[in-house]
Amino acid sequence: MISACLRILALTPLVTVMLFCQDAWALQTHGGIEGVVVHQVAHIQYLGALGYLLWDIRRSGFAGVGWLYLQRFCWLMMIWNGLAFIGHLAQMNLPEEAVSTEDGYLSALLLPPVSFDRWVYYVTALDHLVITPALFVLFLAMRSFSRAAVSEKMEEGR
Amino acid sequence: MIAGIPLVPVILLDIIGSAANIVFAFLAWRYARSLSRRQPGNFVWGYLFYVTFAIAAFTISRAVGHLVKQFLLIAGQGEIWAEISPYSGGFNTLFMISVAAVMIFYHKGVQAYQALEHEAGKLKNANRDLAAVAAQLRDLNQTLEQKVEERTEELSQSEKKFRHLFSASKDMVFFSDADNRIVDMNDSGFEMLGYCREEESVLQLADILSDPDDRDAFTKRLFQDGYIKDLNVDLARRDGKVVSVLLSATAIIGEGGEILGSEVIAKDLTRVKIMMEQLAASEKMASVGQMAAGVAHEINTPLGIILGYSQLLMDDVQEGSDAYQSLQVIERQTKASRKIVADLLKFSRQSGSTREEIDLNEILADVVAVTEHTLGLSHIAVHRQFADSLPRIDGDPEKLRQVFVNLVNNAHHAMLEQGGGELLLRTRIENDDVVVEIRDSGQGIPEKHLAKIFEPFFTTKPVGQGTGLGLSVSYGIIHEHGGTIGVESPVNDQQQGMLPGTLFRVRLPASGSGHRQIADMYGATT
Repeated sequence: MISACLRILALTPLVTVMLFCQDAWALQTHGGIEGVVVHQVAHIQYLGALGYLLWDIRRSGFAGVGWLYLQRFCWLMMIWNGLAFIGHLAQMNLPEEAVSTEDGYLSALLLPPVSFDRWVYYVTALDHLVITPALFVLFLAMRSFSRAAVSEKMEEGR
Repeated sequence: MIAGIPLVPVILLDIIGSAANIVFAFLAWRYARSLSRRQPGNFVWGYLFYVTFAIAAFTISRAVGHLVKQFLLIAGQGEIWAEISPYSGGFNTLFMISVAAVMIFYHKGVQAYQALEHEAGKLKNANRDLAAVAAQLRDLNQTLEQKVEERTEELSQSEKKFRHLFSASKDMVFFSDADNRIVDMNDSGFEMLGYCREEESVLQLADILSDPDDRDAFTKRLFQDGYIKDLNVDLARRDGKVVSVLLSATAIIGEGGEILGSEVIAKDLTRVKIMMEQLAASEKMASVGQMAAGVAHEINTPLGIILGYSQLLMDDVQEGSDAYQSLQVIERQTKASRKIVADLLKFSRQSGSTREEIDLNEILADVVAVTEHTLGLSHIAVHRQFADSLPRIDGDPEKLRQVFVNLVNNAHHAMLEQGGGELLLRTRIENDDVVVEIRDSGQGIPEKHLAKIFEPFFTTKPVGQGTGLGLSVSYGIIHEHGGTIGVESPVNDQQQGMLPGTLFRVRLPASGSGHRQIADMYGATT
């Protein structure tokens, strides 16, 4: 059941395009917003794929530190995808005057009134606090697999 | 009043995080690649390699985009970023979709591979099991072949052993079938019965067990007990003669309990019987000798008185008168009777004797010298085979001369009817005994007489031509000397086989051999 839902989720970009298409001309034109939509849908697809992988790891009952790290990677990356999805929406809703770069880019300010949308934008802009640990955990997972394989080989050698 | 929230932390975090992301993603991919290279057959490592590759591609694309953006914006090149931004975003989207696709679709491939591998594993296990079974079968086959070979060799050895026992046995061994046909017989059996091997196929049990009573006893006991032990029967030879045997047999029983035939072993008792007869004869002779000694002792005194008084009377009557002639007859017959009594005493070893060391070759030479002329007249050729340096014996030369004269005379008589023949006198040494053999080529002695020839008064000569005491006296003298006398008729010659005629074999202990001592040489009384 879950597998079927994930398959449908993977096909979401296609479904979305089909549901929201306007002029069905032979050569379709692409409006400015289309890129963002596709990007957002890609985030959802990515999140779904990670969810599928997480479910499959847990279902398969793979044991070991490496698989534990890989599960954490999935969780963090899913969070990051959600965060990025919201971040993109927040950025789209943020008026241009909300950010001041009068004193230079490095002195840019998110101007008041600091509404919920603006706080959301600010927090989601700090997404590296999630994705970087996620990739670090992925590195740990791969290293753990590699070390386990090496020690297994040595055991066989003995 | 807050002027605004500075975005510089966001900018710095973006720059540092992007750089760190590149490093971590790259390292993760390196480890995944190392894993897949180390274990290329492991599809999971292959899957992780492609996933990390896609993630690294996405991360680098995104991080590079972010770094370029930040550095361009810091450098005040917002327009350039505005130009690049769609491409960067497009690539990010593309790699993100790729990551998702690899994660999901490639994973399905992994599952398919795992399913295939599972099936292949089952097939491999099945193959391994089959190979193990095949190896076991091969081993079993080899072991079986080896065992069959070993058992065949054992059987062959066993068959060889029993075949040798069967064929080399000096007793007759044969097998008969349910119809009492002889199916296999050893050489001793053929030799004993006088048949040849070619006649085996037609030989019946009834042919050799000619006495119906013996046949019935054989069949009855075999059916009743399943075996026969020590049945004394007479077997018929091909030439009609009879061989006395001691027979043992075992029935060959089939799976249904039916008798399929029999295994028979028969021991020739001819020699044993002869020995038993000789033993019986020897016992008889001993008792007869005792009786004769007693009779002779009692008769000798009255004979002496009769002879004495007849001689006294002869002095009283006129020579030439009827009474004188009658007294002469009485004297002659009394003397003849006294000689018979003396012979009886000699047989019973009651007569006097002398003892000295003598050479039997010399004794025999004397005997031949005395008898050769007479033998020559009867066309009897005398052959001498005297052993050189024959040991001397202790004995009475006169008595022994009498023995050999007696034996030569018997040989002479045996060859007289056929008008001549050959007489062989031979001396030899056997162990510590001196053996004298006197062999003639006469008609031989019938088997039924063989056991009786040494009995006193046994003779085949017409009445008046022999007293039947010659061989008895010889027997007594030889025994008196601690020796033996035996007879063989027909003669079993080692070179020429069975020959007609008779052979007397006298065996006397050599002087000082420690054999039987002459105990009663001087024990004669009258």
